[in-house]
Amino acid sequence: MGSELVWRWCVVGNGLVRCFYNNTTATATAIAKASSLYLSSPKPKPKFLILTPPLALIRITRSSSSSSLNLSQGYSSSSSSSNENNNEKKKKGGREYLEMTEQELMRECEMDTFKASGPGGQHRNKRESAVRVKHIPTGLIAQAVEDRSQHMNRSSALARLRTLLALHVRNTVDIDTYSPPPHLLSILPLKSTLRSSGPQIGPNNPKFLLGMQALLDLILAVDGSVSEAAKYVGLSTGALSRLILSHDSLRMAVNQLRASKGLKPLK
Amino acid sequence: MKLSFIRGCFPSNLSVFIKPSISTNLLRPICFSSMSSPPTSLKPQIPLFLRPPLHSVSVSDLRKWHDWAKNLASSVGTTFLDSDNGPDLDLLCRELKWLMEDAIEDHTVFSQMGIENNQTNVRLRTGIEELYNLWKQRIEERRPFQYLVGCEHWRDLVLSVQDGVLIPRPETELIVDLVADVVSNNEGLREGLWADLGTGSGALAIGIGRILGSCGRVIATDLSPVALSVAAFNVQKYGLQDVIELRQGSWFKPLKDVEGKLAGIVSNPPYIPSDNIPGLQAEVGRHEPRLALDGGLNGMDDLLHLCNGAALMLRPGGFFIFETNGEKQCKCLAKYIENDIRGSFHSLDIVSDFAGIQRFLTGFRQ
Ligand SMILES: C[S@@+](CC[C@H](N)C(=O)[O-])C[C@H]1O[C@@H](n2cnc3c(N)ncnc32)[C@H](O)[C@@H]1O
Repeated sequence: MGSELVWRWCVVGNGLVRCFYNNTTATATAIAKASSLYLSSPKPKPKFLILTPPLALIRITRSSSSSSLNLSQGYSSSSSSSNENNNEKKKKGGREYLEMTEQELMRECEMDTFKASGPGGQHRNKRESAVRVKHIPTGLIAQAVEDRSQHMNRSSALARLRTLLALHVRNTVDIDTYSPPPHLLSILPLKSTLRSSGPQIGPNNPKFLLGMQALLDLILAVDGSVSEAAKYVGLSTGALSRLILSHDSLRMAVNQLRASKGLKPLK
Repeated sequence: MKLSFIRGCFPSNLSVFIKPSISTNLLRPICFSSMSSPPTSLKPQIPLFLRPPLHSVSVSDLRKWHDWAKNLASSVGTTFLDSDNGPDLDLLCRELKWLMEDAIEDHTVFSQMGIENNQTNVRLRTGIEELYNLWKQRIEERRPFQYLVGCEHWRDLVLSVQDGVLIPRPETELIVDLVADVVSNNEGLREGLWADLGTGSGALAIGIGRILGSCGRVIATDLSPVALSVAAFNVQKYGLQDVIELRQGSWFKPLKDVEGKLAGIVSNPPYIPSDNIPGLQAEVGRHEPRLALDGGLNGMDDLLHLCNGAALMLRPGGFFIFETNGEKQCKCLAKYIENDIRGSFHSLDIVSDFAGIQRFLTGFRQ
């Protein structure tokens, strides 16, 4: 059995997992589906956008014309798939994904383990606990190999998937009536003029993702300009740049977004 | 039904105590120390990561050991992989990292230390000579990593294991999910009495004991006293003494008193065909107990026995799940149930594992 196997995980009842095996054809379909997101033509006012992720882990190829696309349209064009949650998924934006519980998120994912070799089970002593989860609506893929149990790798992979969703799935914001959401305020340094009290939330806090996502939404809405974005969050351009540069994946996401607008990367 | 443990004559500091097979002395349980094997072998070993950090070594000596261990692993190359699909360098390096995690009191501090800390001392849970010894056993004797450190990470548990006890496999993790699935919308099963037959380290009993309702109980059995002593250690570690009862004996023999009363039966019995045993990966074939692996001529001896027993032991509506060697055994068992013991079970289902192998057979008592 040398082919790659794909598992659809579906959560039954209160968070219980069941899996269904799809064959290689299904994998191919899933990948094609994910890539088809990039082929469909963007609508003028998309609900949310997905940007081409920079990491090798993410298997969607970059569209030649644009680095962003209308995911909701792209998704509906491939909704002939058998997944019953299609309708529900179509409505979700990046923020909704982050607010989902682990089980809800898993319900939208295929779990994928690495090649099966041999009969497994009692025959083997090999920590083949590596796990790869693929988020069907966006095609984003996260994996984890370093934990000592499969179960824990699944949690790590899902946590990583959340980061990817925060980094790469955009919500549209109305810049005319914009005021920064509380999650964004909480990751800003205290010197922001818009900030009230409370400690600054750092990258190790799970809530950081929501703030980071909101910041990227804003930066996209001002076409990648950090100085413009800084005005909306009550910081100097320098202070906002420092915040962005202090976090590697945030910096990469901002620079990717800037590149798509023809701007130079922040350094 | 109230299950309880009898305290008293366990030879170690454990207060868990195991009932023998009931056939002759149902009412007069004997304790470990009176069993045939020497009591010392029944005192479960403490996993490395739980031992006190009584040893000390300089950072430079520890690094020297680490470089030596890495070199030894590199010298293996793909030899193990080629000979019996054993571990490659990648996996051995990961194991080395985990060995350090378990052996060093504060491994994160150690990994951040630079050359300037060479003379600093680090506290270890075992002596540096023993670390040399252990890694030599890993490479030269192919002793399983889990036996070196005395534990295995399985689901969200860290289970103690030692020679004589099967190391729980990642595939088996799924059984707990499947049981959780079944009990989630069935209160009768959630609050009922379950049996884990051939419990080994106690993995399944503990996984299931943690998802049952407050009235749910598990009886875990094994033929091997070493397995039971390790299972007892693990049950105690997770504070499930009031939920899980351990009994010694062959398959259903120690369960006569609960005939027809079980809500669920789970088992991962030995299922490897006897003639596959010599060709097994060295870690398995040379080190894990044959009693845990060998399923007879076509590997189905115990599975068939369990199917027959389940028909007798389960109450109406009760659930069973058995792990098998793969598609062939799953189909063969399903056919056996549909033809030879027709009318006993309904809703048979074959469930695949993470790698796509048809691994589990599930069903319900009529
Ligand atoms: C493959 S191991 C499974 C251990 C554990 N349930 C797990 O999944 O990790 C099979 C177990 O069955 C036990 N066993 C073998 N023959 C038995 C018998 N006749 N009665 C009870 N247990 C037996 C072995 O000692 C071993 O612990």
